[in-house]
Amino acid sequence: MALVRKIIAQSTVDGPGNRTAIFLQGCNIRCAYCHNPETQAMQDAEAKEMSVAEVMTEVRKGIPFIRGITVSGGECMLQAEFLTKLFQAVKALAEEVHHPLTCLIDSNGTVPFARHPQLMEVCDGVMLDVKAWDSETYHLLTQARNDEVVKENLAWLLQHHLLTEVRIVCLPKRVDVEVILQNIAKIFDSIGEKAPARLLRFRPHGVIGELANHPMPSDEQMAEYAALAASLGLTATVK
Amino acid sequence: MADIYSIVTSQKLSYEQKVVALAHAAEDTLSVLPMPERTRFYFDKGVICNLNEGNAPYRPRYIMPDYEKAVKQGVKFLELDPPQDFDELLTFLQVLYRHVPSITTYPVFLGDLDKLIEPFIKDLSDEEVKRKLRNFFIYLDRTITDSFCHANLGPEATRAGRLILDVDRELEQAVPNLTLKYDPAITPDDFAEQAIYTSLCVANPAICNDVLNAKTYDRYGISSCYNILPIAGGSYTLTRLVLPRLAEMTKDKEEFLTKLLPEAMKCMADYMSARIRFIVEKSGFFESHFLAKERFVERDRFVAMFGLVGLAEAANHFAPEGKKYGSDAEADEIAEQIMDAITAFVDAYECPYCEIANHRLLLHAQVGIDTDYGITSGIRIPVGDEPESIYDHLRHSSRFHRYIPTGCSDILPFDITGKQNPAAVLDIVKGAFSLGQKYIAFYASDSDLVRITGYLVKRSEIEKWNKGQAVLQNTTQLGAPTYASAHLANRKVRGV
Ligand code: SF4
Repeated sequence: MALVRKIIAQSTVDGPGNRTAIFLQGCNIRCAYCHNPETQAMQDAEAKEMSVAEVMTEVRKGIPFIRGITVSGGECMLQAEFLTKLFQAVKALAEEVHHPLTCLIDSNGTVPFARHPQLMEVCDGVMLDVKAWDSETYHLLTQARNDEVVKENLAWLLQHHLLTEVRIVCLPKRVDVEVILQNIAKIFDSIGEKAPARLLRFRPHGVIGELANHPMPSDEQMAEYAALAASLGLTATVK
Repeated sequence: MADIYSIVTSQKLSYEQKVVALAHAAEDTLSVLPMPERTRFYFDKGVICNLNEGNAPYRPRYIMPDYEKAVKQGVKFLELDPPQDFDELLTFLQVLYRHVPSITTYPVFLGDLDKLIEPFIKDLSDEEVKRKLRNFFIYLDRTITDSFCHANLGPEATRAGRLILDVDRELEQAVPNLTLKYDPAITPDDFAEQAIYTSLCVANPAICNDVLNAKTYDRYGISSCYNILPIAGGSYTLTRLVLPRLAEMTKDKEEFLTKLLPEAMKCMADYMSARIRFIVEKSGFFESHFLAKERFVERDRFVAMFGLVGLAEAANHFAPEGKKYGSDAEADEIAEQIMDAITAFVDAYECPYCEIANHRLLLHAQVGIDTDYGITSGIRIPVGDEPESIYDHLRHSSRFHRYIPTGCSDILPFDITGKQNPAAVLDIVKGAFSLGQKYIAFYASDSDLVRITGYLVKRSEIEKWNKGQAVLQNTTQLGAPTYASAHLANRKVRGV
């Protein structure tokens, strides 16, 4: 069983192609810019306990229109056992209907993937958030101190060809975007593997607290980040 | 005569539109087609409708010339030698298009444009090709002032195809309509995605299921409002049966299915046969027109389209209170019974001069005309009744598309975010096509160009027309009332 916040049958913003996106309830960090703050609590009246079979009923409705599923959150890796069973069921369904389906994870990277080998066997890739590089910046943004795990995950996923993309929410002053870009470029170079980077413009939509009315970074600012990424040899898209 | 006077003095019609309207009025003074009493009855009730084809047909309704052959062989009648370079090709086509007759007096089919162009652009840069194409397209848009005109692309990706899409997106015109023939085994994803992206910008091209439609004839093209017809042939006629008007005349489904529907279909089929005979035996078209004489069309490659409109309302008429076509099994089953009855009729009815269709009339999901109030295009789900889920919508249309060989389609407005992920829209297309959907068109909810029932119209032009100003495109006149009466602004926008 998992605590499911919502299921979107047709999503085009959660990975490549058309996907069914499943959002699980509960997160272990508290990003100041979180635009789904309602998914943070580990319990919530609006979230529903669902079994793998119940989620699969929803996934089935998307066949043959979807390329796969993406599980997001909250932080979905907090329910890794469930993910393993769900992904196994999705792979079995793909066989049954002769329609390939990929299983992606959208994660803040604070749970070590290396510790879930069975899950990684049925997972086609991870979209990894890198919230900040400097530990203090990370802490100020997320109220958490688990940034080392994120960095280890970055390297591990890359080595195992499971890094679908790196996501960076761009919020000048609060996020050290330049430092993140420089460091992921370094890691890519040292491992000799690459993954695309997605530069997400901070948007106040849905955000509560101190950043609720904070302005979005300008087009020029986003262009500067993109230019820096390009100069570092990264394939980056701005959204 | 009052009619003719009002055509002559109209300020809303352009000069060319007046000439066409006057020719029509002249043709309609003749009555050369037999009109038995029951046929007349169904015509008067609006159950059978000949879509303004005129009372004395002097050319087939839709003509699909074999342009490839013309380009190879030249056209004697027009004193055109085979073109040797790109400029010559474009001039050749401009001249030839000008001489292709049709019901609208404009060519409804411009050929597989990418394949026609590809061999001529090898030595030219992208910029040069695009500059010439731009002029060519502007010429087409401003002289073929009717957006029932259609060019085809694909299924192979070609440089010409990509450049045509680029130019199409830059120009944002209603003409030419484009359709990409799509086969997942042949068409590469990036080309299909470029087509979808273009479509979400300028409502063009539509996407046609090549795998299924290629089974209809040896060589097919898409013309006008999504007509699937043989190349080097075409369609003599398109007459339509307005199902809801017939349903309203009956006391129950039994009477409809066993009495009135068979009788009306027989009247319509006989009427169509008479039209075909007149065109072939009396009009002299196949003896005298250069397209036939030089064999760019073959008489035995013409079909006749048996049109249907308003399946939804007819099914709803007989369905239990509150049950609706598109979302309720009861209504959908009735719709299937109606389609089965119609299919059985056309399968059994022998019509003259339709060799390529095994002497059968071929079903067509007619998209509607401007005076259809409360009647939905062909076999589509009425605006406002669309299922919540786009997947259910497409499953439903796949189920009904299988009945229709000569063209049926769905039009889906997409949320603008679709532009950022054409691959996702392509996934949906692939899924729908694998289930049996034959044809799909999109536009973005914010685009100036909108698809009315099949053709494209600019919202800005509709506004001009509504204010009483003359507009260039004939189809704006059709589109303006349809956009309002069919509530197209309320089509369910699909978020992606
Ligand atoms: S990791 Fe995601 S869900 Fe959790 S707080 Fe941060 S933004 Fe919100």
